[in-house]
Amino acid sequence: MNLFHSIKWRLQIWHGLILVAVLASLGFTAYQLERNRQNRRLDDDLERLFPPLANAMHPPGDRPPPGEFPDEGPPPPRRAFHLNLPPNAAEWFAASDSNRYYYVIQSRDGHELARSTNAPAEGMFPPIPPTVSEGPNHRQPPPRMRTSGQVRELVHFLPPGDVIRVGCSTEWEARELTRTAWKLAGAGGVILLFGLAGGWWITARAIRPIHDISAAAVKISAGDFSQRIDMTEPESELGQITAVLNSTFARLESAFAEQRQFTSDAAHELRTPVSVMLTQTQTALQRERTAKEYRASLEACERAAQRMRRLITSLLELARLDAGQEHFRPAVCDLAEIVSDAVELVRPLAEPRRIKFHAKLAPSLVTVDAERFGRAVINLLTNAIQYNREDGEIWLTLETQNGLAILTVRDTGPGIAAEHLPHVFERFYRADPSRSDVTAHAGLGLAIAKSIVQANSGTIEAASSAGEGAAFTIRLPLCRD
Amino acid sequence: MRILIIEDEPDLQRSLAQALREEGYAVDAASDGESGLFNAETIDYDAIVLDIMLPKLDGWEVLRRLRTKKKTPVLMLTARDAMPDRVKGLDTGADDYVIKPFDLPEIFARLRALIRRSVNLAAPHLEVGGVTIDTAARRVSRGGRPIDLTAREYALLEYLILRRGEVVTRTQLYEHLFDENDETMSNLLDVHVSNVRKKLGAELIATRRGQGYTIE
Repeated sequence: MNLFHSIKWRLQIWHGLILVAVLASLGFTAYQLERNRQNRRLDDDLERLFPPLANAMHPPGDRPPPGEFPDEGPPPPRRAFHLNLPPNAAEWFAASDSNRYYYVIQSRDGHELARSTNAPAEGMFPPIPPTVSEGPNHRQPPPRMRTSGQVRELVHFLPPGDVIRVGCSTEWEARELTRTAWKLAGAGGVILLFGLAGGWWITARAIRPIHDISAAAVKISAGDFSQRIDMTEPESELGQITAVLNSTFARLESAFAEQRQFTSDAAHELRTPVSVMLTQTQTALQRERTAKEYRASLEACERAAQRMRRLITSLLELARLDAGQEHFRPAVCDLAEIVSDAVELVRPLAEPRRIKFHAKLAPSLVTVDAERFGRAVINLLTNAIQYNREDGEIWLTLETQNGLAILTVRDTGPGIAAEHLPHVFERFYRADPSRSDVTAHAGLGLAIAKSIVQANSGTIEAASSAGEGAAFTIRLPLCRD
Repeated sequence: MRILIIEDEPDLQRSLAQALREEGYAVDAASDGESGLFNAETIDYDAIVLDIMLPKLDGWEVLRRLRTKKKTPVLMLTARDAMPDRVKGLDTGADDYVIKPFDLPEIFARLRALIRRSVNLAAPHLEVGGVTIDTAARRVSRGGRPIDLTAREYALLEYLILRRGEVVTRTQLYEHLFDENDETMSNLLDVHVSNVRKKLGAELIATRRGQGYTIE
């Protein structure tokens, strides 16, 4: 199975992609937040370091009062620069490995006035343009934070135009950030793995009924029709499909069983006459025979062949009926005529056993395929003759009632025992399983009659109580006009 | 050798009986399960050919009831070749089965094998005092020379040789060599015995006075 065509894999891939996207955005956000938090902390530090520096540059008394910047005229002359850091502030900028803060002070014309020993070399940041040219109208720009490489610094313009830069190496923060990133990636990876595993488990569980269904379907397509799909949750969507499939399988199974039974019965019915022909011919051919012996053999073979012919005709008839009604040519006709024609046809069969017919037929117009329907009636009549006693009688009545034509064929034979009654219309069903009578029919006559009647939208039923003969009743809808 | 055929299809029964008679068997036939079972229980047949679909009593039932009394070899004729049917037949006590439609030579061979096995003999060839008998081909030779025996004579010889060393009574021989249709004259057996002796030598079949015949 191609991975991309498997639902399970596709679900898993989508699930994985979504999980990765969610984890990545979460991780990225967390990373950003952490970085912002670091920057804010650094900025706070730098802001805290800045006032002492500014104060050291302009001792409190030396500072022009706020709001009294000279708006015009040249700036006051530069006094000799001297930085007077309080000791605790000086400590912060002392050169040492653990100290990472620095400062650089530039005059407004760009000269460097002072710098701490651990200040990075110039060139790291773009140079700050001298503020002189901007003239006295120059407004103090707000302190500005900037970052370059692993250094972050605060740039502050003092009113006269001097620049104080307080900076800090962010090496440690960068390392921390990298570590955080790895931690996030690791956690994300672990969550992804768990998520994928969980997803796999859920998908597998969701898909399992489909697997069961397909496994059962495969077995059924291989011919094992007894297979059914286990139904654990009949209420779920798959449970409903399963129920539908199971009932389909059941219908298939019974259809196939019927078909198999029919084929096997048909083959079985053919075996006996073939056995007769084989033994007859093989015995006859073993040595020279008299003409009388040959004749006897040929007669036996003929009987067997006739029996096979009857069987084959019946089988073909059934096959045609099973195939559908395309060969049917229904037309309006009088059922009474069909029945009396059938009686005339079977009379020669009844005469040797001195069986009498009594018919009371009311004209009834029905829409049927007269030829086919005649065969159904003939089958009922032959059945009535065959299972009748010598000197017996056959009663035929045809009457109309509630828009139905009702035909009843009653014989005076031994009747059908109650246990056989429900099966008489089954193919190959015979109350006595033996075939002592060579001329006996294969047990298809009534089955054919039933198929024909049903194909003509009628019904047929059998009734009997043992010892009192059997009665077959056909009901057909009468023609409307 | 006497065989009972229980088969309800008259043409099949008739031709099968005729074919077996021509093979030298004494053959009785029954057309339904009840009379077949009666025959099988009252007469010691060498083998029974039993159809399954029978009126009155089906083949399974005949076999089941027969097996409570006798172990006569039974060859079942079945029109159904489905595996469960064959298994059921063998499990009920059938010794072999043939599926319809069958060929006569196959029935003959299976019957010969059944009869041979019933007297605990595996090989189809037997030799007694220079006389060789091939039960498969039904041929007898003496000192390499083929001897021509009638079907009855062959049956007599085979019956005695298969029970070599036993004394076989005249009644037994009558029962197994002649069927219901034979007019068994009391001296018919003596005629067959003397014919066999003429063809194969007087010393082959010994007479036990008052008991019967035997082949040592």
